[in-house]
Amino acid sequence: MDLVTIMKTAVFAPLLGAFLIPLAARISTPARNVLAVSLGLVTFIAAAALLPRALDGQVAAYTLAFPLGFDLTLSADMLAVFMAAVSSFTSAIILIYSVDYISHYENQTEYYTMVVLFLGSMMGLVFSMNLVWMYVFWELTGFASWRLVGFFRKDTDVQKANKTIMVTVFGALCMLAGILMIYFANGTMDLRHLRGETISTMAAVLIMAGILSKSATLPFSTWLPDAGVAPSTVTSLLHAAVLVKIGVYAYARIFGVTVVVSEGFYYGVLVIAGLSALISAGAAMIEKDIKRIIAYSTVSQIGFIFLGLAAGGKTAFVGGLLYILMHSVAKGGLFLCAGIIEQKTHTKDITKMGGLFRAMPVTAVSFALCSLSVMGIPPFGGFFSKFLVFRGAAETGSLFVLAVFLVGAVMTLLYLIRLFYMVFLGEEKQGAPREGSFSMVASVAFLALLGLALGAFVHYPANYAEILTSQIGAIE
Amino acid sequence: MNLLSIPVLLPLIAGVLILAISEKTRWLRELLAIGVTAVCFLAALNALAPALLGQHYQLTLPWLGGGMDFSLKADQLSAFLLLAVSFFSLLISFYAFSFQDKGKAKWFYFNLLLTQSFAAGAALADSLLALLFFWEGLLVFLYTFIVLSRDTAGARATAMKAFLINAVTDLCLLLGVAITAYLAGTMSMSEISAEKLTLNGWGGLAYVLLLIGALSKAGAFPFHTWIPDAATDSSAPFMAYIPAAIDKLLGIYFLARISIYLFQLNGAMQLVLMTIGAVTIIVAVMMAFVQQDYKRLLSYHAVSQTGYMILGIGTLNPIGIAGGLFHMINHASYKSCLFMTAGAVERQAGTGDLGKLGGLFRAMPVTAVCFMIAAAAISGIAPFNGFFSKELVYKGTLETGWTVFFIAAEVGSLLTLASFLKLGHSVFFDKRPDGLKEVSEAPFSMLMPMLVLAAVCVVFGFGAAIPVTYLIGPALDNLALFPEHALSGFHLDNLYLVSVIVILGAVMNHVYGYSSAKGRASKSSDHIHHAPVLGWIYGLAEKRFFDPYEQIMKRVPDFSAVLYKADRFFDWLIDGLPVAATGKLSDLSRRFHGGSYPAYMLLMGLAMTLFVLFTANSGGIK
Repeated sequence: MDLVTIMKTAVFAPLLGAFLIPLAARISTPARNVLAVSLGLVTFIAAAALLPRALDGQVAAYTLAFPLGFDLTLSADMLAVFMAAVSSFTSAIILIYSVDYISHYENQTEYYTMVVLFLGSMMGLVFSMNLVWMYVFWELTGFASWRLVGFFRKDTDVQKANKTIMVTVFGALCMLAGILMIYFANGTMDLRHLRGETISTMAAVLIMAGILSKSATLPFSTWLPDAGVAPSTVTSLLHAAVLVKIGVYAYARIFGVTVVVSEGFYYGVLVIAGLSALISAGAAMIEKDIKRIIAYSTVSQIGFIFLGLAAGGKTAFVGGLLYILMHSVAKGGLFLCAGIIEQKTHTKDITKMGGLFRAMPVTAVSFALCSLSVMGIPPFGGFFSKFLVFRGAAETGSLFVLAVFLVGAVMTLLYLIRLFYMVFLGEEKQGAPREGSFSMVASVAFLALLGLALGAFVHYPANYAEILTSQIGAIE
Repeated sequence: MNLLSIPVLLPLIAGVLILAISEKTRWLRELLAIGVTAVCFLAALNALAPALLGQHYQLTLPWLGGGMDFSLKADQLSAFLLLAVSFFSLLISFYAFSFQDKGKAKWFYFNLLLTQSFAAGAALADSLLALLFFWEGLLVFLYTFIVLSRDTAGARATAMKAFLINAVTDLCLLLGVAITAYLAGTMSMSEISAEKLTLNGWGGLAYVLLLIGALSKAGAFPFHTWIPDAATDSSAPFMAYIPAAIDKLLGIYFLARISIYLFQLNGAMQLVLMTIGAVTIIVAVMMAFVQQDYKRLLSYHAVSQTGYMILGIGTLNPIGIAGGLFHMINHASYKSCLFMTAGAVERQAGTGDLGKLGGLFRAMPVTAVCFMIAAAAISGIAPFNGFFSKELVYKGTLETGWTVFFIAAEVGSLLTLASFLKLGHSVFFDKRPDGLKEVSEAPFSMLMPMLVLAAVCVVFGFGAAIPVTYLIGPALDNLALFPEHALSGFHLDNLYLVSVIVILGAVMNHVYGYSSAKGRASKSSDHIHHAPVLGWIYGLAEKRFFDPYEQIMKRVPDFSAVLYKADRFFDWLIDGLPVAATGKLSDLSRRFHGGSYPAYMLLMGLAMTLFVLFTANSGGIK
């Protein structure tokens, strides 16, 4: 298959395939599940197949012409392929985990449709080279996530789902205004033509508002913990792997490798990211709901990713990209562990848990390994990304940024340790629950070991990220 | 296959293999561990030999790119350290062979081998990033080592404490490495040493951060507080291995590397280092003196002795640094030996409580003799190894002109000897309690490593020339230091006299304490423990008032609560506020939509007028 076909498969298979899922559900439940999982796998395989070719320097490009600069341009450069591979991989794992997990609940067809639609829009988003199409896919992901957060139909769930969409759409509209400002100033929305152009700080701030709201960073962070009412797979999919990374990706794409903004803007991003990392870590220390804690942890870690991407300098940018990868794997694992725990203990309140180590040893060990990766302890992959972003922070020469992130990293240690101790060690507070089902436990164990493997073979992703950075060229 | 990959990879592979070995197989795990550590020891010897001739084994692999390669290099200092790490790993795996109270055997050996692998990596690393990788990686095994040694809440709490203290200081180290790498433009230590960094501005910050990492690993004040807790909550082999040997070796090694090799220090920093050393000596030895538990007492000495090493390196003159490095290896040998005797006594007598022990000399003569040799060595009695290294540290200290640190070090020596008199007296002499009549000597597998270490104490004492010629001297060359004086041999000068005074002082103190405690050796420290002001301070210390970890952990919830408030504020900003504002706005507009016809007419009229005025104002309709 040629490059363009593979890329089109990665985008259109899930995007259009999503609408076949309700039809498949008419045939039979297994048919629907098989279709959903295979769409996830096909997307991942297509994205992964692009990796070596992107590494060779081949860039696929495909344009569907529309008038007035609205061309749908898809292009598979190294950054797009990297993001596509990471997010489709996590999505595929989540779809596999879902087969058992979601079978206990209602509205499964809607669930699968929305997850696959989400995946498709994500693929469209990362491959789009036109800002306005980025915006379209951006809103599509928002729509899917709205339905997914509101998966359970209780009033509070619906309310939280509305909060999710309200906050992200508000941000997206700001972003649209920013995109229009760029269009009027530069006459194009094609990112390839915008390379190296300077844009006004106002436009940059507006776009940044969209990014921050999507990536759940201060001041728009709290919708993410609230969205924890959704099923664990969804929180995992939305939070860890894909949704919050959309903003990060957009940052890398727009501000990292395309346009130039004033110095102050980057510093502002660093300060916001630092405060976000710190404040959310504090909140994670106080919360008692396991999924909210992990969600706050995600908010906090996103701050570190922004640190890497915004610090300026190649090493930090590589660090930020690696962070996306390591965090997706580790945080995905943590959320899926939380899913097992929630399903087996029927509670999310960690003060009612304790001593679960004996009952669910595999989950506990996987949880510990994923936590270590999030903490950034070697030999786990998270260590390298944390080191690289700290190196970036050192290069900014700002003591304030450095100190805030250091305290943030210390808080990360504290809340994860607290969580682990309260859930798995300590006294048993209730009758021993059972270990999760095989496919669920296998998924989390796989993610935990993957974190270890990423540490051992960090050379390969690091090499990819480095070539990416020098090829596409981070804005120094 | 590079020679240097053996001490790093072999224990790693063997450690994982051990987990796979069936629970039912006897001795296989133990023998595998002993075999692997022995092979690593031979490999370390093989790496040292060429290093002494100026030939360094090296291993460089591509890693993160951007100049961040994975590089190992066995220069003189690193090869020396590798040898020490492998030596202690071998002895401990032998010692633990028939020591039951160490948790599950497979986990013990897994932790031991993995620790060895990472420690070897840290010792050999030339790239700062590789060093950080191995160094921080040790954290995981430190945690599992403690938590798996006993199934108690205490072990879990101590494991967390050890983990957190080291994790936080490792983060400082990480930041320090990041800044150093940025300043120097390279990660390779040998490249940085060619053009040393200074302590100006960012350089100073980087050094302090690296220093925190090194001191914490070495277990210096105030990062030491997990060590005494671990003494109560974990096993003797663990104590003999990690806090007594590996951690000290790595910490002091890295301290020497940064202070001499990477940075050009100044007088102020010299003073800081020496102060930290002296404070560590005094504070920890004061605590050690009043302890009532065998291992806990030793653990405070493990902290106190670190002070001598830091003091020695802090002098920044070749003789003091030689003393610091020599003391590092000496300390590891006698302290490991002492912890082994503690383990042997605990295993045979069933307790480590000094009040319940006594008169074990006849029952356990070999253990007792090993104890006495090691105790004499730690107290700096000639002609054992501790004497010679302390002498070098004293000389280095005097050479800086800061006599106050010399006095502190001598006071530390006095109290060290005093507490070992108390310890030895209450365990091996004194009256044997009735419950201990049946106690017998420990098995051979435990005695053998003790004897080896006691022999090291003797050989490195009488024959101090051997380690000085083959280990310390080359290490100094490596650091580009060339001492003017001979580093070994007896020097009959005033220091000798001081040492005799110290011994006499300690003996007198013990005699006084013993008699005022009415003949109970374990209480022979009470006259100091309950002295007027000291008693109050001891009381606070025992309530953990001086433990930064406990103090900080107490404040974490408040700090988090403040951050949580900030989080709630932002939540209100994007959720509560817009909702309330929209509600108010809708209320307002609903008031104008009350269904009243005249009101609608009025509004329409008003709007029309406004429109006309606005259009007219902006130039009319064209």
